[in-house]
Amino acid sequence: MKTEENPYIPKSATVVAVKNESLETKTLRLRLYNWRAQFQPGQFVQLLLPGVGEAPFCIASSPSDQKHMDLTIIRRGLVTIASHYMRPGDVVGIRGPFGRPFPISRMVGKDLLIVGTGIGIAALRSLILFVAEHREEFGEVDLLYGARFPEDLVYRDEMKPWAEKMNVKVTLSKASPEWGGLRGRVTDHLGGVVRGGEQVAVLCGSPMVMHSISAELLKRGLKADQVFVSLERHMKCGIGKCARCLIPGGWHVCRDGPVFSLDEISLEAIGE
Amino acid sequence: MIRVKLGEFLRLPSILAGMGYSVVVPTEGNGVTKFECYSPDSAIDLDYVRAINAPRDFLLPDGERLYRYRSTATVTSYGLKIRFPTVEGPCPVTINAEYTAPGGRLAFFAIHPCHANSIRYLDRVMLSDPADPYYKARREGMLTVVLECEEGDDYCFCVPAGSWRAEEGYCDILVRRSGEWFLVQPISEAGREAASKLNAQEEDAGSLEGKPPKMKSSFSIRASEGEIDRAPAEGLDSCTLCAACTVTCPTCYCSDIEDRFNLVDPSNVERVRRRMSCQRKCYSMIAGGTIFLKTKEERYRWRLKHKFPFSEKAFGMSGCVGCGNCIAFCPAGIDMRKTVGRDQG
Repeated sequence: MKTEENPYIPKSATVVAVKNESLETKTLRLRLYNWRAQFQPGQFVQLLLPGVGEAPFCIASSPSDQKHMDLTIIRRGLVTIASHYMRPGDVVGIRGPFGRPFPISRMVGKDLLIVGTGIGIAALRSLILFVAEHREEFGEVDLLYGARFPEDLVYRDEMKPWAEKMNVKVTLSKASPEWGGLRGRVTDHLGGVVRGGEQVAVLCGSPMVMHSISAELLKRGLKADQVFVSLERHMKCGIGKCARCLIPGGWHVCRDGPVFSLDEISLEAIGE
Repeated sequence: MIRVKLGEFLRLPSILAGMGYSVVVPTEGNGVTKFECYSPDSAIDLDYVRAINAPRDFLLPDGERLYRYRSTATVTSYGLKIRFPTVEGPCPVTINAEYTAPGGRLAFFAIHPCHANSIRYLDRVMLSDPADPYYKARREGMLTVVLECEEGDDYCFCVPAGSWRAEEGYCDILVRRSGEWFLVQPISEAGREAASKLNAQEEDAGSLEGKPPKMKSSFSIRASEGEIDRAPAEGLDSCTLCAACTVTCPTCYCSDIEDRFNLVDPSNVERVRRRMSCQRKCYSMIAGGTIFLKTKEERYRWRLKHKFPFSEKAFGMSGCVGCGNCIAFCPAGIDMRKTVGRDQG
């Protein structure tokens, strides 16, 4: 048995840059050592911090750069907190990429609505960069990004270049008085971005928020097979052997997902 | 088919050990039957109906080491300090995962047809693409000696669960007890080789067909996702969350993978796969503390959903083999047959 055949063995990568996105969020830029990652937007990897543990993260960089990988990490648990102590040059392990990516072929030539809330935007950044690189292949593209406080916003410096390629709306539910942009929850601003027709919507965020956005999109006339959600579970193996990521309907998030269309799963599977 | 007496039949484990197998036999001790590795003084129990563990514990052992690597953690006076290996320029340091594939061939002696079917289920799970390399290495060259049950106890329901027959490929030697005789029917090539080493007291021209054991209750299983959600779930108040149902289940395979090291040498890290139970809250916890299965009742129904509709969908067969271990070993007496079973007549 060779190492290449064993999906449990990580490959090495080094941190080349660490970017502070917000108080709780950092983006690690990894350079893959001696291997290339052929991934598509929406897939995830298992990040191993030596001596700490392993956790799954969606790849947040463009698939056109196979030598590098960005992971945007919010401090929440053991691995994510430890990852905030990483400096350039540190060695980490990467397994993957795993999972079913966003269905790009379903989106080409159609209007696209990308809705991200909180740190969910990290899972969508790969898709956003891909769309920006291949802008002419898509119809109208709307990006709706919601967060709670102004301090929670990530990718602040990238919003401007994105806004040249697509319609970007940022809304804060607990905005400070100085905030000049939209206020309120994401669901309050769906009216301006749901275009109907063949539009494809892509969501990622906390389970509760995704649940309410999905329900709202369906109410506004999008069909279930036009709405795609990227789910979060704590996968341990990434290949459907540990059953930690089972969701109602009998899907493994790691193998059959993390991207599901709403006609495959029920709203209850997203969470509540 | 050959007929042998008990004494001769009990020579089979040592014959298998002589053929190079690591033999697992049911042994009796402290009032329970347990599968253990064979040694010449093992107290082999052939009268058992129920065993406290299952072939799963040998094919997917708890605490199995996946690989080992060196980290740069050190112990200081104020605790464990982890420094990530840092390099400059292109990465010359890599995470060198050292691992060895598990070797040896396993032979299961005198398992019941439900156990043989549990191996079949684990095969579907672990060998589906991509295959689990550790399970695959253990599974290769496995031999099973299946001893038919005559009668189930109060908790058995393999006939309603449809798993009383050891399927082809999961039974190398089929054995039936008939009075003081054991009827031994080798099925596969490896089984024929092992059985030919028995001193057959009597040859028999007939061949052995599977026979369903006598059941104390008969019912039909109706377990779609909606039916499990709507069905009554009684006695859950007294559930102590001991997870005995998932520990003794021959098909429960949910696992956790964690780093393990000791404080004497913290730089030597092992990635270890440990058994996980869906009856625990942390089973469904994600970053930030969101828990998807919040209550005992949700987790109880989740276990049944994983066994029946989810397994049917993902692996094409039911994950419940009807051994009844989860009912028999439950200290609160929770009976899942009341949730999934519909009485006939």
